[in-house]
Amino acid sequence: MSGWSLLIWQMHNKWQHKPQTMGQPGGIGQRGGRILMALTVVAPLLAACGSRPGGSGSTDTSGAPGPLPIGTAIALTGNASVIGQAQRIGLELAHAYYAGKGPALALKIQDGGSDEATATNAFRSLINGQVVALIGPSLSQQAFAVDPIADRAGIPVLGPSNTAMGIPQIGPFVARVSAPVAQVAPLAIAAALKLNPRIRRVAVFYAQDDAYSTSEAKIFQQVLNKRSLKPLTVQKTSVSDSDFQNQITDTLRRHPDLIVISALPSDGGNLVRQLRELGFKGTLVAGNGMNSPNIYRICQRSCDGMLIAQSYSPEAVTPINQTFLSLYSKAHGGAIPPQFTAQAFTAYQVVAEALAALKRSLPAGSSLAGLPRQELRRQLNAALLKGVYQTPLGEIRFTPEGEVIQKRFYVAQVHMTADGTSGRLQLLP
Amino acid sequence: METLLQILVNGISTGVVYGLFALGYTLVFSVLGVINFAHGAVFTLGAYLTYLLVGGAVGSNGLLAGLQLPFALPIWGALPVAGLLTALVSLAVEATAFSPLRRHQAEPLLYLITSLGAEVILVNLLQIMLGAEGYSLPTTALDPLPVTLSLAGAQVRTVQLVLLVVSVLVLAVLTLWLEGSRGGKALQAVSEDATTARLLGINSDAMIRLCFAVSGFLAGLAGGLVGLSFSIPGPYFGINYGLKALGVLVLGGLGSVPGAVLAGLIVGIAEALVPGEWSGYKGAIAYGFLFAVLLLRPRGLLGRTQITKV
Repeated sequence: MSGWSLLIWQMHNKWQHKPQTMGQPGGIGQRGGRILMALTVVAPLLAACGSRPGGSGSTDTSGAPGPLPIGTAIALTGNASVIGQAQRIGLELAHAYYAGKGPALALKIQDGGSDEATATNAFRSLINGQVVALIGPSLSQQAFAVDPIADRAGIPVLGPSNTAMGIPQIGPFVARVSAPVAQVAPLAIAAALKLNPRIRRVAVFYAQDDAYSTSEAKIFQQVLNKRSLKPLTVQKTSVSDSDFQNQITDTLRRHPDLIVISALPSDGGNLVRQLRELGFKGTLVAGNGMNSPNIYRICQRSCDGMLIAQSYSPEAVTPINQTFLSLYSKAHGGAIPPQFTAQAFTAYQVVAEALAALKRSLPAGSSLAGLPRQELRRQLNAALLKGVYQTPLGEIRFTPEGEVIQKRFYVAQVHMTADGTSGRLQLLP
Repeated sequence: METLLQILVNGISTGVVYGLFALGYTLVFSVLGVINFAHGAVFTLGAYLTYLLVGGAVGSNGLLAGLQLPFALPIWGALPVAGLLTALVSLAVEATAFSPLRRHQAEPLLYLITSLGAEVILVNLLQIMLGAEGYSLPTTALDPLPVTLSLAGAQVRTVQLVLLVVSVLVLAVLTLWLEGSRGGKALQAVSEDATTARLLGINSDAMIRLCFAVSGFLAGLAGGLVGLSFSIPGPYFGINYGLKALGVLVLGGLGSVPGAVLAGLIVGIAEALVPGEWSGYKGAIAYGFLFAVLLLRPRGLLGRTQITKV
């Protein structure tokens, strides 16, 4: 919306300086200006109406008693809202589940939008609200813009879905629960070559305006080059694209056996559908960004057979994953949670458990709320990086730099129902 | 030859949708002299309504999670019904965001703000009610037509041809109506000069409402066609198309109906001509072309010079 606002502001300036040629009363310009100013203020409020901000408790002040505020800025609106909405569910489930199981926490959810500017505003607002830790943003692209702000403020920030290279290196207060693309992406290529060793001709598609997709596509290309499968073509798309016919027809003229896609669920699902409809019959490998049941509704029968690298599997038999599955299933009519929801649940769990561990380490009679807020954040960051967590993603811990160390990753193949209305991800051995 | 044909089919089928969408902007601009920013949201709504009318179910994120209509229309029925429903919504936008300002003879800028507000509200309502998930119309919507056709060696999705045929038909009907009917001529008279038209006995307000209804119908139809051809990636996808259509509107000449169609085709083909390796820059190339044309011809391809009495 910032583009619209800028355009309108420029037009307003132009009209304000334009001579009155239509015989309107002179007062209208001034009155219009006042109305415009009022509406300019109201417009962002209207925009926020779709984000349904959540959270509880009033603004906390440093050291004040009451629940400790945990801030989260995720993409509730915009092109990546399908990710943010899934994350919101995970955060809310975790917040409800951990209530009463450790220090009292207040979850403050803000819309980080799908762009850097909105995420920056959300982070700044949460930082001003004296949050103890931040979870978010949804996109790596946004993380490169906003994580430095949290890091400079000395607030631990935990990325639930930021998988691009270089995220933990932003600063000492930045960590992530989402495994980097370098670990997950190569597995899918290996699985594709295992299923079809005769693959020789490969094409790559990636969303060039998304840091995660760009980063993952680089890894895919490195892996392909190592296996002497130099891509025939690398097609750059945009996350807001929906028409890929030109790129597809250009690619199919080169007769690829394998097409590798790094994209988000909406654009990626759409691309897969058009690829199949235009006659591609080879193997499809999708990056981790497309590991979402939301793609089923988009590519329908065309999703069938696609290989997807995963850092979460609903089939993992661990107590916390069973609990998570049950919580999600109860809230969503038996549905299976997507990876983004599991990662968001995990991010909240890590913060909650790190705070609980920190509380246990305090001398008798002291409380977390009694610590100066800055000191609490510093100690929380240290505790968070030291811990070992049993999460829906499996056991995870962190390097001193904040990189997640996850024990297990998966590659799954999509199996759609005959009518193409739903599907499931079946893990490959 | 095969490649050229492929590019032309891709470009024209995309371009006619741009043209159809831009026509909605053009019609409102021609009578009110302002851009209706809510047009993108009406386009999005058209796509969602078409999806629901063909029997699609709402996902699990919105307030209407799991909703499915008790009936399912064939796509040929769903597209016009969705268009009629969006025409009603467009009338509601006119009644709330335009009509009150018109009564108070407000500055044109304020229409932009109120229509932008209407767009934000509509898009967010869609997200609250239907969730942020993406949807596709069933791939069987065009059965028994085949999924793809081979035209002189070029692979063409049947839906591209459907899109092309429907758009051309609608554009032809609209042109015939504008040029050959009393209502169409009255609309042209209002767009020429609303005051004079009123003095000649034309109900300008009724014509403006009619203009919004037609514009809403075109947006809803274009949304349904795009949803059928590609998908509905979420409640925000109309904004991206809206920006493209604004470019088309300007390129064709503000308020020019044939200009909007011509410019839509030019932008669609220009995008299709971008080589595969440069496809990520197709937007930049299309807008660069627009920039170049406007430098040479600021009123657009078929726009008329505005004469202002001072």
